[in-house]
Amino acid sequence: MSTWTEKYRPKTFDEIKGQDEAIFKIKLFLKNFGKKKRAIILYGPPGAGKTSLAHATARENNSEIFELNASDLRNKQKLNEILRPAIEQKSLEKENKIILVDEVDGISEYDYGGLSELLRIIETTPYPMIITANDIWSKKFSALRKKCELLPLNEINHEIVTKVVKDISQKENISITDDLTTELIIKSKGDLRAAINDLQTLSKLKDFFAIILDERNKETDIFNALRKVFKEKPTNELLGVFDSVNMSTDDLILWLEENIPAEYKGEELAKAYNLLSKTDVFRGRVYKQQYWRFLVYENIFLSYGIAASKKIAKPGFTAYQKPSRILQIWLNNQKTIYKKSICEKYAQHVHISQKKAMYDFPIIKQVIKSNPLIQKELKLEEEEIAYLNYKV
Amino acid sequence: MTAIWTEKYRPSKFSELVGQDNIVKRVEALTGSMNIPHMLIAGPAGTGKSSMAVIIVKELYKENWKDNYLELNASDERGINVVREKVKNFARTKSLGNVPFKIIFLDEADALTPEAQQALRRTMENYSATCRFILSCNYSSKVIDPIQSRCAIFKFKLLEKKDIEKVIARISEKEKLTIGPEAIEILYEGCEGDCRRCINILQSTSSISPSITPELISTIISNTKPKDIKVVLDYAISGDFQKAKEKLLDIMLKESISGQDVIKAIQKEIWNLPVEPTIKVKLTEKTGEAEFRIVEGSDPFIQLQALLASFVLAGLGKE
Repeated sequence: MSTWTEKYRPKTFDEIKGQDEAIFKIKLFLKNFGKKKRAIILYGPPGAGKTSLAHATARENNSEIFELNASDLRNKQKLNEILRPAIEQKSLEKENKIILVDEVDGISEYDYGGLSELLRIIETTPYPMIITANDIWSKKFSALRKKCELLPLNEINHEIVTKVVKDISQKENISITDDLTTELIIKSKGDLRAAINDLQTLSKLKDFFAIILDERNKETDIFNALRKVFKEKPTNELLGVFDSVNMSTDDLILWLEENIPAEYKGEELAKAYNLLSKTDVFRGRVYKQQYWRFLVYENIFLSYGIAASKKIAKPGFTAYQKPSRILQIWLNNQKTIYKKSICEKYAQHVHISQKKAMYDFPIIKQVIKSNPLIQKELKLEEEEIAYLNYKV
Repeated sequence: MTAIWTEKYRPSKFSELVGQDNIVKRVEALTGSMNIPHMLIAGPAGTGKSSMAVIIVKELYKENWKDNYLELNASDERGINVVREKVKNFARTKSLGNVPFKIIFLDEADALTPEAQQALRRTMENYSATCRFILSCNYSSKVIDPIQSRCAIFKFKLLEKKDIEKVIARISEKEKLTIGPEAIEILYEGCEGDCRRCINILQSTSSISPSITPELISTIISNTKPKDIKVVLDYAISGDFQKAKEKLLDIMLKESISGQDVIKAIQKEIWNLPVEPTIKVKLTEKTGEAEFRIVEGSDPFIQLQALLASFVLAGLGKE
């Protein structure tokens, strides 16, 4: 199964949405290549389309693209071995060539001398170089910034993300409600790749849409209750404010957790969270001791207690958010499903618990990833190996 | 032959176990008499508990060892019923060879709840004629007294630098690695006396280059630490609660680390914060309270958020 982010990666300038200005500038850079700077840095948040733009540029110019990315070790020696020949040889198939150095901010402490070597290569390259980065403003890049044109890419605006998400849902034949689309979009914060990934993950769970819809009905009640707790001065009536909301204490805690920071700051925030924390302690005691009367205290802390945490009444309208944590946990679980299965195999193989394998995963991952023999020994599936090599 | 070094270089003879000399001598004598009691091996991770269990079994049964040995992990085998079922099936058949009992190794026994341990105690009694149990745990205090009193208890200590050095030397020679004293020092500090971790770091580093430099080791180790807890605290201290909260959840989910591990990291990171000494003490107190509440409560993330909110206050100079 291919990932949708690859399947729907734009191939031409036309297909790249929302970066018209950048496209214009990159065309200009190519036109003037040789006159001024020899490299251009595309920088911006993840999922803005940096890599796509580089590939589309090559395609539009009938160029071969030579790509070096974060997964290749980029020290001086490697750059000389790999990049040097690339800039010294002509392309065999195409008229031109473009050199892409992807994720330059991934050049790390152990890429000794990599950055200075890159600078030397830039000075002499006969082919245009495109460099991508998330953040280019750290000090170690000051020399690089001088040598290159800088082209900032903004995060992709909501309308475009929405359009792409809807397009893909249509092509993949999944029905997704407008509400859920909106939620995905807001969560993605302009990271188109994240939005598409989430969409693909969601599409695998059929019941999920039903769950979401069910939650919708409860919302009006909870919004009203939250408004009373956060906006009004505490009165004894407030003690019953959650009675009309058909929700468990567990859910209430999640709603409050999500929305306290929207209303309270500083001391109020600390007070309110302290009560939430105490509520959770009582909740733990209820479970452990099966002593249900503690629920009374939970309810008082959550209603009157949090209301009394503010110094003054809060006027104005606040748009409350539904709890995002559960969705996030769920999405993450889908993403880490292979991590779990790898740990299961590994743990059994080396006589440790799965829990310990999960805990030590960052280092175990490196061991497994670098050695195909071990992958074979653990009988890893293709998907699991792909997960190891996927850059997160 | 395995390519995973922690297995490849797992000690296979008593003489290869490092750092537990006195215990090893006693256990070797017991094993030589072809009769062992139930055993409880307590000690930190990566000090050789499982290795010793396997060595005992190999010494007793020689080439038949696999038929007479069952390994269970208490923290994965959920519920005592699974344990009981597996134990029953295993113990039903007679042992092969001239040793009259089989051996069950129950790893991380302290992960069982006290109730499950009570049940385990019965199981141990019921099958004591045909089975010996070797239990391992990190803390013997978490194992209930009745089980402790039925076992010979062996307390493994944390490996010292000279022990770890021996292991590193053995592996470096076989794998043709070059490693200097400075790199060994960093490796030792980074693995905190946990030999398994030490070997993993070593293999991980060697996958980049066979000459192990201090810089390489440091990079690998820093990649394995719960990262960015500092970033979370920086956000909180500078007053951006929302960012701190988002980042925290992100870290916990991506690296699947528990609330208690986060607390541990926060507690260490406090000393690097740009705040007054009195505030550091105050924050540590808050952190301790949060850890206590995590144990008492049911949702660690709520407790951590409450803690972050008090860090925000500290950043404002109010607490």
